[in-house]
Amino acid sequence: MDMKEKSELNSSDLTAVPTSPELTSPGVMVPDTGGVPELAELVTDTTIVPAELEQQKRRKPSSPFRDSMRRLRRDKRAMASIGVIVFFILLALVGPTIYQHIGGQFNSPTLGLIGPDQYHNYSIQELTLLDQGPSAMHLLGTDNIGRDILARLMQGILISITVAFLVEVIDIFLGITVGVLAGYFGGWIDQLLARFTDLMFAFPGLLFVILLTGILGSNADAWFGGIPFLGQNGNSRLLLVSLALAFTVWPLMARYVRGQTLQLKEQQFIEAARTSGTGSVGIILHHIIPNLFSIVFIASTLNIANTIVGEAGISYLGLGVQDPGSSIGLMIAQATDNIQVYPWEIMVPTVVLAIIVVAVSFFGDGLRDAFDPRSKD
Amino acid sequence: MIRFLVKRLIGLIFVVVGVTFVTFTLGYFAPGDPIREQMGIHFQYQLWLQLRHAYGLDLPFFAQYWNFLVHLVHLDFGLSFHYQNRPVWDILKSGVPISAELGFWGLMVELLLGIPLGILSALKANTWIDTLNMSLMLVIYALPVFVLAVFAQVIIIWLDNLTGASWPVSQWGNPWQYSFTDIQYKLVPILVYGAAGFAYFARIARTSMLEVLRQDYVRTARAKGMRERVVIYRHALRNAMIPLITVLGLSIAFLVAGAFFIEHVFNIPGIGSISLNSVFDRDYPVIQATTVIFAVAVVIGNMISDLLYTVVDPRIKVQ
Repeated sequence: MDMKEKSELNSSDLTAVPTSPELTSPGVMVPDTGGVPELAELVTDTTIVPAELEQQKRRKPSSPFRDSMRRLRRDKRAMASIGVIVFFILLALVGPTIYQHIGGQFNSPTLGLIGPDQYHNYSIQELTLLDQGPSAMHLLGTDNIGRDILARLMQGILISITVAFLVEVIDIFLGITVGVLAGYFGGWIDQLLARFTDLMFAFPGLLFVILLTGILGSNADAWFGGIPFLGQNGNSRLLLVSLALAFTVWPLMARYVRGQTLQLKEQQFIEAARTSGTGSVGIILHHIIPNLFSIVFIASTLNIANTIVGEAGISYLGLGVQDPGSSIGLMIAQATDNIQVYPWEIMVPTVVLAIIVVAVSFFGDGLRDAFDPRSKD
Repeated sequence: MIRFLVKRLIGLIFVVVGVTFVTFTLGYFAPGDPIREQMGIHFQYQLWLQLRHAYGLDLPFFAQYWNFLVHLVHLDFGLSFHYQNRPVWDILKSGVPISAELGFWGLMVELLLGIPLGILSALKANTWIDTLNMSLMLVIYALPVFVLAVFAQVIIIWLDNLTGASWPVSQWGNPWQYSFTDIQYKLVPILVYGAAGFAYFARIARTSMLEVLRQDYVRTARAKGMRERVVIYRHALRNAMIPLITVLGLSIAFLVAGAFFIEHVFNIPGIGSISLNSVFDRDYPVIQATTVIFAVAVVIGNMISDLLYTVVDPRIKVQ
């Protein structure tokens, strides 16, 4: 019996031995012969190449991050989407300034002689030019109280970007803090997170946002009126909307981060760091958090689309941005009354909202496919 | 099984207490006095004190919350602030069947349209049918539900003008009755309500089906010489359904969120509309009651989806 076992062992050992050089098992180190001739071709000067120079000429070794970026660059849909996203960001940031310098003087019956800085302002009403179609003066026409639609649209996109930014900052900060602590230390904080996530999953997120903005909204002007941009021109409720939206999404981020932290904690480089005397704080700051980058980036990008739709929805219901201000949702709501007569006014914000949301989702999908190839269907 | 149900019911209690606590705290610390607001110009100090006492608003925070919980156990949501002397339940009574009906048919649209479309896409993977179908699903999924609803209204009005018909764009027929006029009222809101979800289901169904078609047992079934239809319907489809059931629980939460917009846009007198109006009116007892109803609906939906999971896949044991 002993003999038999031994012979079997031998035979299996024998089969594992490579019979030809092509069949080397993946564990065996083989000198890289592929790169060297290329290098020799590149180096036209055949005199002695110093070691440092050779090191420089050799292509940087590909890291997982570089591989992912390469995959992302090859994804045409994601690249087109990022182009669209950049276009809308530029439109929102620089657009209004440029637009307010386009066009000549206009003799308004109600406002006197005004320049483009007036009639291309998102809150200035020109009561003699209601519900105009696109023209040279108002590129996308005017709305039902005579405000320039393009100007309002650019302001609305700026609001969407602001809310998305605020929500993601809070989401990432809370998600990483709680997720890492729960994953790394476990214990009561982990229990608390689990209970809290269950609660938030059962509580319809939108209902919470509606409750918070509806109940506290009337006081937003008094509380946030002093803050520049965010507190003025009817935007004061935005901070409430952002807080409420962030509050409903961060448990999901924390859950992702917790899962990733649990995995990372068992990796050998963490063990090595611990063995060499790094404390918990050092491990978390230098070894765990940098490795959360891709998961946090993907999760927050995928969430931006929901955030933009959420803000538009809340403003549509009349609980977000208030009247002198503009938001895509508010534009849609205000155009609804005249929908049968002037469908153009509702088409503009709707189509733009759809394009932005589709572009952000495409980019998010592309990121996920690039950084986590297993998830691809 | 019984242990699972008991555990879930305890979880339900926990969720209801948590959700009501959050809502209650928001209402309690919200600026402004609801009674004073309702009284408006008819404000009288003595009357105000009496009303506060009648509604129990002069009690300390925890006493008020405790009272609320005790009443909740008796399924009594108290009196409305906004509509004088009307119990909250009286206001909700008419809305519950309407929202339940809307939700039920919305879910049916999601399942009965979404899953077949996803399966079709998977079977025709990487052909023009697949590309067209999936692009369409993505656009529908990306469009917010209120945008879809408003578009649907525009199209109906346009068709009405064109044909001289008078297909309605708002209100709701008799709940759970299906005469021709009832169907006229209900068809479009239900289709729009289910649209966002069915696009999502279609995407998941496609992914899941493609995954299953790659499995060894499908190859074996084909190698045995079984007819393609049997392979697909008996071997692949059943297994592809499993991941869809987990999504079912999530989709109920989405349906609840969608109810606010659909009921608002189509002017349907369901719980979503009542909840939204109570937020505008600051009618806290009604807000509380609708929140509880929504949270219970989501939790029970999740529970059913977990139970279904074990029925479909006996390897999974409920814990």
